[in-house]
Amino acid sequence: MRTKKITDGALNTIVYLSGLFNLILGALKNLPALKISPVRTVFFRQIYFAGIETLGKMVIIGLLIGIVIISQITSLVGVGRGELIGKILVWVVVRELGPLFAAIVVIARSVTAISAELGSMNVQGEIASIEMMGIDPERYLIMPRIIALTLSMVMLTFYFELSAILGGIAVTSVFWGVPFEQHTTGILTSLTIMELSASLVKSLLFGVVIAAVSCSQGFKVSGSITRIPQATTKATIQSLFFVFIFDGIITLIFFL
Amino acid sequence: MITFECASVKGFLDCASLAVSAGGSCAVLTETEFEKNLLLKVFAGLTRPDSGRMLLFGKEISSLSADELNGARKRIGIVQNNGGLISNLKVWENILLPVSYHSPLPQQGLDEKMINILDKIGYDDDITMLPGPLPEYKKRLAGFARAMLMEPDLIIYDSVFDGLSPDIRGKVMGTITEFQQEKEGRASLFLDMDEGLLDYIRADKVYMLKKGKFYERN
Repeated sequence: MRTKKITDGALNTIVYLSGLFNLILGALKNLPALKISPVRTVFFRQIYFAGIETLGKMVIIGLLIGIVIISQITSLVGVGRGELIGKILVWVVVRELGPLFAAIVVIARSVTAISAELGSMNVQGEIASIEMMGIDPERYLIMPRIIALTLSMVMLTFYFELSAILGGIAVTSVFWGVPFEQHTTGILTSLTIMELSASLVKSLLFGVVIAAVSCSQGFKVSGSITRIPQATTKATIQSLFFVFIFDGIITLIFFL
Repeated sequence: MITFECASVKGFLDCASLAVSAGGSCAVLTETEFEKNLLLKVFAGLTRPDSGRMLLFGKEISSLSADELNGARKRIGIVQNNGGLISNLKVWENILLPVSYHSPLPQQGLDEKMINILDKIGYDDDITMLPGPLPEYKKRLAGFARAMLMEPDLIIYDSVFDGLSPDIRGKVMGTITEFQQEKEGRASLFLDMDEGLLDYIRADKVYMLKKGKFYERN
């Protein structure tokens, strides 16, 4: 009985993961559909909602995190070690916190919105209506969301990292009088292609997975409107779970 | 245009046969709303027969690829009872959605064409608003305009006369007849549950769906 439960659970997980994989592959296959004007509109709206509208908050969070990190490092290693401080700042922000914080903000904001929107469209028969018009929902609803969310994630990660580093440098320069050049030397020497690639790969992968999970959960809603909150909760938890798993794996691959 | 040859859908159709021919006008009356909604899904190819044959524009539906099926759906205009509008698109975006999706290049004069159609069918509300607050009848009209813009070969009307006064019903029927005559071979298919509908529509064939079979009425 117990073995059967475990086997069923494992099978369900495999089916679900292959569904997500197919959704992502389908989005890549349907990329040329961005030439179609209504698909492009959905894409730009998603970029605006997930990327541009979130940018201000992301920069503020980045600045604050940068200040917190640099204050802790400075208290730990001392004021005169500008180069080391710059190095640690790059390691912590670019390698880890940038993609992770951007993902958490996107999950809090866009995952719930996408899964609730698609879920309510499904319950109200709007997705069936779209199909009746000869429009492929994967091409019109899913692909632009996956691509836009992924690009937004890369953009938000970049701005988060930039504001965190600049915020940190500014605070140490103003409050502790550490010369600006000391930090920049540390930052520039430790900011290698490896760091930048790890950050880019993480943000791309987080974006794709978060978007696929939210679209998949939204599409699964059927029957009753009360299923929508359940779908958004599932999408949020699963996205967080996948982000932490992939974060660990990519860190191991790049820096072990 | 649509032909059922002994088509069965588990728990719904049982070796049902029906034919909607080009240029014709046909009505199908169901006993319940559930049956009507399911039948609409079958006509649109969203639910496929488990056995028997269903031909869409002369092609067996089970042999069509997803793209071919979408190509066939492009030729069918569906005016849903609730309008079938997308809630996060403005009314004008809803009306232009299928035509701008299916045309590879931006079409000249599409906005003007839309305004003319809306004038013709008597839609007088704001088209820059989201469809949510609109009354059902207005949503249906917007759905009608959306279907008309696609210049379909077959148009399916899903209980379009619901909740209308006899006067407005007459006007709507006039527009439907005129629209059918605009293109040679265009067919109309009316889905409803109310037999009173037969007083308003001019159908060449009337089918009743009972116990999974279509019975033609004389």
